[in-house]
Amino acid sequence: MPRILNNKKPISVGRLIIYIVLAIWSVTTIYPFIWVIINSFKSSNEVVRNSFSLPEAFTWENFTNAFSNQNILRSYKNSLIISGSVTIVVMILATMIAFALTRYQFRLKTALLALLSASLMIPVFSTIIPVYKMISQLGWISTYQAVILPQIAGNISFASIVMMGFLRGLPLEMEEAAYMEGAGVTKVFTRIIVPLCRPSLATVAIFCFLWSYNDLFTQKILISRERMFPISNLLEHISSKYGTDYGLMAASVTLIVIPVLIVYIFLQKNIVKGLTAGAIKG
Amino acid sequence: MHKYKKFVALLIVSLMVFGSLSACGSGSKGTTEANTDAAETDQETTSGEATGVTSEKITLTTVSMMGGTDPNTERYQEVIDAFMEKYPNVTVEDSSQMSDQTWKAKVAAQFSVGDEPDVIQFFTDNNASEVLAADQFVTIDEIREVYPEYAAAIVDNAWKASANPDGVNRAVPTTGFWEGLFCNKDLFDKYELALPTDWDSFITAVKTFKENGIIPIAVSLNEVPHYWIEHLMLSAAGGEEFTSIPETAPESWIKGLEILKELYEMGAFPEDSQTITNDAAGELFKTKQAAMQLDGSWYAGGIDDQENTVVVAFPVVEGGQKGPNDIIGGLSSGFYITKKAWDDPLKRAAAVEFVMMNTSPEQIAIYWNGNGMATVELEAPADMTPLGLAGLELGNAATGTFAPTDARLIGEAYSSITTSTVDLVNGTKTAEEILNNALQINMDSQE
Amino acid sequence: MLYKKKTPLIAFLLPGFAMLLIFLYVPFVDNINNSFYNMKGFIELQKFIGLSNYKEMLQDAKLHTSLINSLKMMGLTVVFQVGIALLLAILVSNIKRGQQFFRTVYFFPIVISATAIGLLFNLFYNYKGGALNQLLQTFGKEPVNWMAATTAFVMIIIPTIWSYVGFYFVIILTGLFDISDEIYEAASIDGCTKAQAVIRITLPLLRGVLCTCITLAVTGALKVFDLPWVIAPQGAPGGITHFMGTYMYQIAFVNLNVDYGAAIAVAIVVLGVIVSLVINKILKPDANL
Repeated sequence: MPRILNNKKPISVGRLIIYIVLAIWSVTTIYPFIWVIINSFKSSNEVVRNSFSLPEAFTWENFTNAFSNQNILRSYKNSLIISGSVTIVVMILATMIAFALTRYQFRLKTALLALLSASLMIPVFSTIIPVYKMISQLGWISTYQAVILPQIAGNISFASIVMMGFLRGLPLEMEEAAYMEGAGVTKVFTRIIVPLCRPSLATVAIFCFLWSYNDLFTQKILISRERMFPISNLLEHISSKYGTDYGLMAASVTLIVIPVLIVYIFLQKNIVKGLTAGAIKG
Repeated sequence: MHKYKKFVALLIVSLMVFGSLSACGSGSKGTTEANTDAAETDQETTSGEATGVTSEKITLTTVSMMGGTDPNTERYQEVIDAFMEKYPNVTVEDSSQMSDQTWKAKVAAQFSVGDEPDVIQFFTDNNASEVLAADQFVTIDEIREVYPEYAAAIVDNAWKASANPDGVNRAVPTTGFWEGLFCNKDLFDKYELALPTDWDSFITAVKTFKENGIIPIAVSLNEVPHYWIEHLMLSAAGGEEFTSIPETAPESWIKGLEILKELYEMGAFPEDSQTITNDAAGELFKTKQAAMQLDGSWYAGGIDDQENTVVVAFPVVEGGQKGPNDIIGGLSSGFYITKKAWDDPLKRAAAVEFVMMNTSPEQIAIYWNGNGMATVELEAPADMTPLGLAGLELGNAATGTFAPTDARLIGEAYSSITTSTVDLVNGTKTAEEILNNALQINMDSQE
Repeated sequence: MLYKKKTPLIAFLLPGFAMLLIFLYVPFVDNINNSFYNMKGFIELQKFIGLSNYKEMLQDAKLHTSLINSLKMMGLTVVFQVGIALLLAILVSNIKRGQQFFRTVYFFPIVISATAIGLLFNLFYNYKGGALNQLLQTFGKEPVNWMAATTAFVMIIIPTIWSYVGFYFVIILTGLFDISDEIYEAASIDGCTKAQAVIRITLPLLRGVLCTCITLAVTGALKVFDLPWVIAPQGAPGGITHFMGTYMYQIAFVNLNVDYGAAIAVAIVVLGVIVSLVINKILKPDANL
């Protein structure tokens, strides 16, 4: 952790102000989370009438309802497989692209950068139907790969751009040293760059995972068999022209959010570990 | 990083292997599949009932619009369970979902690439135009050549109402709907107002409520102005002109829509009617902060106060041509069998049997439950609430039942009207412009 | 720069770009093609109409509103989203205890689906019975229509910006960790104050990361959809709060004017590319290498 202040000082006014500012912001981020959880124990009517206080009539009904809508364990499995694969493949491909685009100079570079930014911009709504046609021609509708492949494509540009940002912050000395000593590019990449990037990789990975996990739209269109539905599909069961069940929605959101937080906390620990072990060596 | 990455990679790979093993065969379509979800019993089925359902292991893919918070969702699932119990060798893979724009797009895409299900409960009017264009359904007549008793109990009126836009019947309808003006009777009584069965009473009610701080009409002009648009047009034009598709907008349609603007300026709608969500508008009505709401038969079930709420036919506007008891309603959905299932000798009988299970008079009674319209002759259930009875009365007393506009105009045309509602009440677009534009779009699409 | 042999370059670039090609570029070309036709539904091309969709865009007042709103959003996201995230990241990197806590907690809004956050804010903004109006009434004030034409934009911007601060916060924080302690130690030995260190050392070294964040923020502003749609569907009231992303969805999926929607998608991409190239030119993210 960068140390600008001397740690041995007692808490100064400056420190206190910092903590207050941080605390205020954290209240705004924690509150909605708690709000969702509290409301998952209320009936839909109560949520609309009275969403900001503790439940008058505490009920587990929303959760039992959610469990009957979809096989929750199987859905978690589907989500994990889909989003896990997407994350791993994207991280590998994106880091490679980022490395190439920051460490090499070549003619097509600007063009490729433009292409990369362009793909960042492409709204998923505009490509989904052609992708659907493609996937169905391959006979892959309602398979894992049906969702994994388009999501990989959708995430590579984002991940590449972020990794490029991080790689630009890495000084070249270590690579230069290794390269001069005769290490091939691949070796430099795998033995030096990748370990150094561990915090960045974990950071981008979590967003990749999260984005893929919450991408209901793509999943909805490309999967039609119920047993392949990922967990975010729970949100499809919460309304109809008969009305929206807000209690069920809160419960579904809670169920959906839990694994992601676990993954995040797990990856976070690795960011910290990455710092204390194997930081920049002389 | 190596070790960590390797570990996670190994984990993911093993999960994938595990996943693909337990979900085997997900890539191929239409082949038999081992399935742990099936209600498997040990008994062997004989070759089934008179319909001759196969005793081979098959999977029937089904889709319906009974999903989400629809009360029929559970009842439909019970039919599926009963079906699988009766035929243990048949696995029903159902992917029902409440219908919305994205879902409709998906279904259309499925049909256009050959990924359609075996049985689908779907729209029968212009809402299904894209799906119908794929021409993947067998007609009722074709089915009856092999199964003469198919859907025999459905009454003639129901067949007429549920024919596809080309006049051919392909789907078996189960229930229909009506639309009407829901009123909080207790609020009317409180201010000694007559129910709005004619225009004068309606306007008096609007003014009185407004003066007393009650929102006269609960509506979300942004999300669901549909019912108001259609009822005002019907009220002004009368059934025949309402259900026509002219080249340019008739005077009566224009006048009808202009009344919406007048009502807005009178303050009949909530303060935030341009941004309020449909759900929140409904809450205003249900919590007695608003006096009236125009909606459909499905809405009745969600109203807590079944004693003091009634529903009446929409009143006739000044100079309007509608009969006082004419209503908007109809049948707009039913169970289809796709050619894919019909042409498959193993699946044909199972598909037919599945639909017949869902459309038997007993099952229709369950789906209907007194709400909306039934497609077979049925007695009203014994335990109906006052609101439920009012709805039944509305349907029975109807002198004419007319399908809503979205049954006639194609999606793009119809939505150009509904998404211009706010412009209409703000004065940025005139009713004439909006309607003529919609009719133009509709015409262009017919080329 | 550094590496002489170019062959490994191809190996690094090929797999990723191949994926992009198959699942993104080719379908998008399809989309571009769609914009030149009148479409019936989502699949069928009906009639070739050339550039008429693009001409329509020039006259579409609601599109202009969406564009302006998106441009405003871009500015606001850079200043506030990235700005607040930068501030928070620097603050958090300066404290010893509670880092883990803040890092976890600031992440929450991103994890919760936009639908839930949208509902929360809807319940704040509701005219009758919304939390904000209830608060006003306890102080004896009149309720306000928060979503009225004059204030709707601001009410939508606030949650949209707020919810993604955590995203940039995490990215910037990670970038901060990449800066080695030794540089700061050397600087403080040379008599550099804390504030000077931030300006002279941290910000320049964060250049690459900041450029990324700004690019993402700006392009994200063009694509944003979920949250604005839930709070103000169809650009309520009256389409004045449309952004390019929501407008495109409305046109394609609600109005079912799929070909026009395709044209808008093309416009979004073109605009985004121009903007990100401009940002790259201005910020010169490769300056450190």
